Amino acid sequence: MDYIPTIKNDREEMLKQIGVRSINDLIVDFKPHFNEKLDLSKPMSELELVEHMTSLSQKNKILKYFIGGGSYNHYIPSAVNHLLMRGEFLTGYTPYQAEMNQGTLHAMYEFQSFICLLTGMDVANASMYEGSSALAEAVLVSSSYNGRNCVFVKDGLNPQYMEVLKTYCEAADLKFSNEIDENTTCVIAQNPDFYGNIEDLQYISEQAHRTGAIFITCIVEPTSLAILQPPGNYGADIVVGEGQSFGIPVNFGGPYLGFMGVRDFLLKKIPGRICGMTTDSNGNKGFVLTFQAREQHIRRERATSNITTNVALMALASTIYLALMGRQGLINVAKISYSRAHLLHNKLMSSGFKAMNKNPFYNEFLMKAPEGSSENISSNLLKNGILGGINLAEDKILICCTEMNTVQDIESFISLAKEAIVK
Amino acid sequence: MKTIFEYEEHTTGHVYDIDDKEKKGEDILTGLPKDLIRKELPLPNVSEVTVVRHYTNISRMNFGVDIGFYPLGSCTMKYNPKINEDIARLDGFKDLHPLSPESCIQGSLQLMWEFEQDLKKITGMDAFSLQPAAGAQGELLGIMIAKAFYKQKNEKRTKIIIPDSAHGTNPASAGMCKFETITIPSDSRGNMDIYKFKELLKHDVALVMLTNPNTLGLFEEKILEISDLAHSNGSFMYCDGANMNALLGISRPSDQGFDMIHLNLHKTFSTPHGGGGPGAGTVGVKSFLEDYLPPPRVIKQDDKFTLDHSKRKSMGRIRYSYGNFGMLVRAYCYIKSWGTDIRRVSEHAILNANYLLSLLKDDYELPYNRICAHEFVLSSKKFGDKSALNIAKRLMDYGFHPPTIYFPLIVREALMIEPTETESKEALDRFSVALRSIAREIKENPNIVKGAPYTKSIGRLDEVAAARKPNLRWITSSRPDEKKDRGGLAIIR
Repeated sequence: MDYIPTIKNDREEMLKQIGVRSINDLIVDFKPHFNEKLDLSKPMSELELVEHMTSLSQKNKILKYFIGGGSYNHYIPSAVNHLLMRGEFLTGYTPYQAEMNQGTLHAMYEFQSFICLLTGMDVANASMYEGSSALAEAVLVSSSYNGRNCVFVKDGLNPQYMEVLKTYCEAADLKFSNEIDENTTCVIAQNPDFYGNIEDLQYISEQAHRTGAIFITCIVEPTSLAILQPPGNYGADIVVGEGQSFGIPVNFGGPYLGFMGVRDFLLKKIPGRICGMTTDSNGNKGFVLTFQAREQHIRRERATSNITTNVALMALASTIYLALMGRQGLINVAKISYSRAHLLHNKLMSSGFKAMNKNPFYNEFLMKAPEGSSENISSNLLKNGILGGINLAEDKILICCTEMNTVQDIESFISLAKEAIVK
Repeated sequence: MKTIFEYEEHTTGHVYDIDDKEKKGEDILTGLPKDLIRKELPLPNVSEVTVVRHYTNISRMNFGVDIGFYPLGSCTMKYNPKINEDIARLDGFKDLHPLSPESCIQGSLQLMWEFEQDLKKITGMDAFSLQPAAGAQGELLGIMIAKAFYKQKNEKRTKIIIPDSAHGTNPASAGMCKFETITIPSDSRGNMDIYKFKELLKHDVALVMLTNPNTLGLFEEKILEISDLAHSNGSFMYCDGANMNALLGISRPSDQGFDMIHLNLHKTFSTPHGGGGPGAGTVGVKSFLEDYLPPPRVIKQDDKFTLDHSKRKSMGRIRYSYGNFGMLVRAYCYIKSWGTDIRRVSEHAILNANYLLSLLKDDYELPYNRICAHEFVLSSKKFGDKSALNIAKRLMDYGFHPPTIYFPLIVREALMIEPTETESKEALDRFSVALRSIAREIKENPNIVKGAPYTKSIGRLDEVAAARKPNLRWITSSRPDEKKDRGGLAIIR
C-alpha cells in the first residue's frame, strides 16, 4: 500500500519550484547516507495485509477469563467503539489550539469530573499512560511536595505495580522503608488489594497524616468504586489507578488508562494535562488546557513530570462508557461481579478449596487448592478453554469474576476443577 | 453544549439488571460492612441515544487529519490508515489477556518479535524495548539505562547535554532521574554550537541528547564529530527520534553514532494521535546496552516465542504488561504495508516540506536559510509581538489546523510547519495561499487577524482567566452551595 497522493507531474513541478533537480538534492546533508535498500518484507496490499494479520491473530487463543491481576474483562457497550472511531476524535492531537479542538477538551473536562466523582478527589488530570506508572508519578508528586525520600507500601500491591514503582524510585533516588515516620514521603495502599481484599484504610491514612506523609490510594479495578467508599472519604490525598475496566478491551496489556486525582493543595504538583472551563471574547463558555506552567514545554527540567502524550482516546472511551452505563449500570456491573465472584468462591469452598482472604473481597479472591492440585486444575481448565486465575505459591490461586462470567461458566469451572483434584 | 451531567434522567440497560437476574429483592452486598459501602454514586443516568448524540455533537467541534491539513510541527500528523484500526480490533488481539499462558499468545509474541526486527533494520540498532507508552517515557527509559550503566561501572556522571532547540521533554526526563541539564546554544546554521559543546563536555557528562534532524527541521551537519567527541569522553549519544519521519531508509541513527533512540510510533509509524494519545515510544539500543532493557523481552526459540522475565542489568519494568500493544499492531501493519518501499515516506515528507518552504519564504522570515528536512520553522516577528498566535488563530478560519507556535524557543514568533508526506501538492498550495493572504491581512486590516477565529464553535478563549478562576470539573447538584457558582456555566454557547 502506498499512502502518498503526489503524482509524478506534481513531483516535477515541486522540484522545479524548490530549485533542485531531484529529491536526492534535498538530502545531501543527511550524512552518513544509508545506501542500501532496507531489508524489509515486500510491500503488502490491503488484502494481503488482512490475510497476514488475520492468520497472526489466530495464533493467539482467546479463553474464558477467570483472571484479573490488573486487566479485567468487562462488557463494553457497542456505542463506545462507534464513537471512538470518529475521525474527529481519533485523528486530532493534544488540543494546544483550543478553538480547534473543543470536542477533545469537552470530553477531558467530563473525564476529570467522572474521576473526581468516583474517587472523591478535588481535581483530576486528563490521564496518565496506565495504572502502574501513574502510581510511580504519584510518588514523585509526594516527594516534590514534602521533600522527603522514603516510600511506605502496604502489603497487597499488585506485583507488577511494585516492580514499576521500584524502577521509578531507583531513578529518582527514593528509598523504601518499613516504618511510617518523619522521613516518609507517602504511604501507598491498593484497594481492593491484589488479592481482592477490601481494606478499611482509615487507620493507616491517619497514621500517614500524623507524620506529614501523603496518603495514596491505588485503584486497579475501578468498577469497585461503584459500590465502595470513595477514597476521599477515608483520607486519600492522591487517588491513582487503572481505568481499563471502564470500556477498554484487555488489549494484551495496552493501551490502558492511567488516572490521577488529588486534593486541591496538590493541584500545582500534578503531572500531565489539565482542562479547565473559561470564556471566549464574547463571554461564551469553552474549554482550554490550563495550569501549563507545571509542564515540560514551559518549565523544562523543573517540570512536575515529562509526560506529554498521554492516553486521551482511552480517557474518552471511559468517559463514553461511564455515560452509557450510568449510575445504575455501573452499580449493576459491580454487584454482578461481586456476586459471581462470591458464588464461585462459595462453591469452591464446598469442593475442598480453602478460602484465603482475611477481609471481605470484591471480585477477586485467593483460594488454596487441595494439596498438589493447583497445576492440574489450571491445565484441566485450560484444556477446556478457561483461564482459571493466577497460580501462586503453595497451591494458591487468585481467581476473578466479572459480569462476563456466566453462572453456567461458573458451574463448568467447578466441575472441571473438581475432576482435576489430585487425590 | 451541555455537559453529560446536565441531561434528563433515564434508565440504561447495557448489562443485566442484578435484581431480576440474580437474587430477587435481596441485597447481595450483605457480606460487606456498612461503613465500607458507598452511600451515593453521583453519576448521570441517561439514555443511549442521548449519549450517542452528545459525543457525536462534541466530536463535530474537533479537527483531525481526517478533516483537513494539520501541519502541527514536531507531531507528524500524517494520515492514519483505516485498515490498521480494523486489524487492531481483531478479537485475537484486543481480547487477549496479558497474563494468558505462552501457548495462547504466540501470535502476539511473533508480532512483537518481528516488529523489533524491522525497527532494528530501520534504525541500525541491535535491540528494542517495546514497553514505553510514549516518546517521553522512552526518553525516561534511555536516561534510566544510562544511570544504571554508570552506577554499575561506579562512574559518577551527573549531567546531560541538551541543545537549546530541544523538546521540553528532554530536560524534564533528565530531571526525573536527578540529572543536571547543560544547555548548548545553536550556531548560525541551526546546528548545536560545536565550540560550546567541546568546552562543556566534561567527565561528568553521562549523555548527549540530540534530536536529528533537530526541531528546526535541520540535519545536524557535524553529527559524526559530535558523536566521536562524546564517545571519546565516555558519554552516550541519545537520539530523540521524534523526527524519524525524515530518515526512513535515508540515514540510520546508529550510523550517525547514536547508542540509543526512541521512536514515537504515533508520529513516524502512523498510529492515530487520538486527541493526545495513546502513543508508543519504543527504545532501541546498541548491543552493549541490550542487558539494560527492561523485562520481559520476547525471545525466539526455533519456531516458538517465549518471554524472558529476567531483569539482567536493567533497573526493571517501567509499566504494567508489555507496552501499548494495540499501537504496536498498527505500526507493524504500517511497516508491512510499505515494506521495502518505506524510503518513499521520508523522501516525500522532505519534498513536501521544501516545496511549502519555497512558497512561503518571501512572505515570512526564514531564520536559518538551509534546505530543510521534513519540517521547517518560520518567524513572523516582523509582524510584531503575538503575531504567531494571531496567525495561528486566523488560519483556523481558512480551514487549516495551525502549525506549532512559539517552539523551538530559540526562534522568536516561531511557526513550526510539518506537512508530512500524505498531503498533496494541491493541499500545500492552498495552505500557502492562506498564509500569504494572512500576511496581507496583517498589513491591511490587522484587527481582523487579532480577533480570529470567527468560524469555529467558539471564539478566542481566555487562557488567563482559566488559570485565575479554575473550573476543572463538574460539581453535582447534590452540593447546592457550589452549584450556585458553577452550575450556571452549563451552557457553553
